Amino acid sequence: MNRRKFLGLGLAAAVLVPATTLNAIDFRKTKPDTWTAKDVESGIEALYGAKPTASDAITLKAPKVASNGGAIPVTIRTKIEAKSVAIFQDVNPESAVAVFTVPEGGIVDYSIKIKMKASGKITVVVEDKAGKLHSVEKDLEVALGGCEG
Amino acid sequence: MGNMKIKAKEKDGIVKAKVMAKHEMLTYNAAKKKGKEANFITHMTGKVNDKIVYEISSSQFLSKNPLFKFQFKGKAGDELEMTWIDLKGDTKTEKKKIK
Repeated sequence: MNRRKFLGLGLAAAVLVPATTLNAIDFRKTKPDTWTAKDVESGIEALYGAKPTASDAITLKAPKVASNGGAIPVTIRTKIEAKSVAIFQDVNPESAVAVFTVPEGGIVDYSIKIKMKASGKITVVVEDKAGKLHSVEKDLEVALGGCEG
Repeated sequence: MGNMKIKAKEKDGIVKAKVMAKHEMLTYNAAKKKGKEANFITHMTGKVNDKIVYEISSSQFLSKNPLFKFQFKGKAGDELEMTWIDLKGDTKTEKKKIK
């Protein structure tokens, strides 16, 4: 495929954003700036418009040394009655990884696998019911970068 | 492209669910190298009886064939319905009875 065609396809894909029928919040639509922010601070700023305070009420589990940066297991647990949970890291081209919307009475115990291209820091922000932000950070080493897919 | 695998099991009113979505999750960088289009899951929801129990808005930095583990209050016999949508607008829905 030549470059022109490739770019054209990308453009077409960008235009064809479908109207979701899900009665849920898609943070990619409501907070588009979050996903293009280059660093963690501006990502959090774009998503919540405020700064979080460090909290020890959140458990963030990730391996100290990840052998495969293409699939790093990350687990987040907290007893805080959360409204949303966001994951950021500081080595990929953009900082935002994922945002969970916590349903009413939901249990925050999420595990997902993420990609990181180099050693860096994961930041998790938990927004509680009152809109207060709590965060926790963790450094980890990545032996083999995972962004090249 | 693909489907997903769902496992959901109830114990003491808490359902533990594991969902593996089969998706390439091509980042913009990786797609450029391969001469393909970037494509990744951007939004996924889990519903039981039309009530949302799980929701994630995601970026390109989830792993390939991402695995999602989560818990919610529920009971066996109900159906967990997972739906994802990707950057190209493809959407997939899969249902599974909670054990």
